[in-house]
Amino acid sequence: MKPTDNPAGSADSGRAPLMTELLVLPDGRILVHSLTEPFAELLRTLNPDDEQIRPRAPERPDK
Amino acid sequence: MTTVLVPTAAPAGTLSRHGRPALARQRAAAARAALADCRLCAHDCGVNRLAGPAGKCHAGADTRVFLAQVEVSDELELIPTYAVAFSGCDLRCAFCITGGPSWNPRLGEPFVAASIAAAARAALDRGARSVMILGGEPTVHLHSALELVAELPAEATLVWKTNAHGSAQARDLLDGMFDVWLADYKFGNDACAARLAGVPNYVRIIEGNLLWAADRSELIVRHLLMPGHVECCWRPVAEWLAARCPGGKVNLRSGFWPAWQASRHPELRGTISAAEAARADEIARDLGLNLVR
Repeated sequence: MKPTDNPAGSADSGRAPLMTELLVLPDGRILVHSLTEPFAELLRTLNPDDEQIRPRAPERPDK
Repeated sequence: MTTVLVPTAAPAGTLSRHGRPALARQRAAAARAALADCRLCAHDCGVNRLAGPAGKCHAGADTRVFLAQVEVSDELELIPTYAVAFSGCDLRCAFCITGGPSWNPRLGEPFVAASIAAAARAALDRGARSVMILGGEPTVHLHSALELVAELPAEATLVWKTNAHGSAQARDLLDGMFDVWLADYKFGNDACAARLAGVPNYVRIIEGNLLWAADRSELIVRHLLMPGHVECCWRPVAEWLAARCPGGKVNLRSGFWPAWQASRHPELRGTISAAEAARADEIARDLGLNLVR
């Protein structure tokens, strides 16, 4: 997503698209910038033992 | 040179949150007036930004936002945070992870304080713990940042994410406005700062601002480990922090990303090695730094 696609000036933040950037390295490390909550949940799902991600994506009570 | 009177309602560092929005409104007007002879950052350009884009940052009086969303990648004590990123910066770090919008203040959407404030309030109502203003470098758009502070709830935790390259004039306008300063100490010597970010006299300027911020707000200092720069940059930064900010919070970040124009510098074409990260951690441990995540 290009930065200009983010309607940051919109008052309706509920529909504003979110943006996270990932860099997947050949050794399997994942660098993340601007991590959003939905993406943190996705990363936690992929690797529940990742200590960097776990506190950033608390488990939902209904899961 | 234009003299800008900075409204103050209380001695520095003692402003209560209750009075913050009203004071921010006054300070925003002063910050906007200061653009006529802009000396908000240490470049001290003295250009008239009210007439249009000018100075090292190439910014005019209009502010644009390239990102405004709830994020969880920052320090655990601050997240979730509603992060508002202004386009434009006074530094030219070759490795900038937001290179395009950081270097070009004309990217992004026009800043409307009321709209962003409404979104921030909604995020706070949904559980965000703080509102963070960042860039680029938000000091470039200090007038807009203060306009936003004036629209936010007085009790909100406000975070100023900065390269700490602001001027004394900017500090006066910022005094008491933010609960947390999240400040970069990027380079441990002037030579690396000049070569990688095009900024002179870096160490003196940043250290002065960090000491000022530590005295007036909660300060968290960030250092991004760069490949090949553990000894020349991280070690001097760590030693200074241990000596001048003992016990202060330090976030040593090891996720260097060879972004933007990093490839212009051979040592910055890759990521941090495990050995470098371990060496950096060892330096931090030996100095007894208070590392936070």
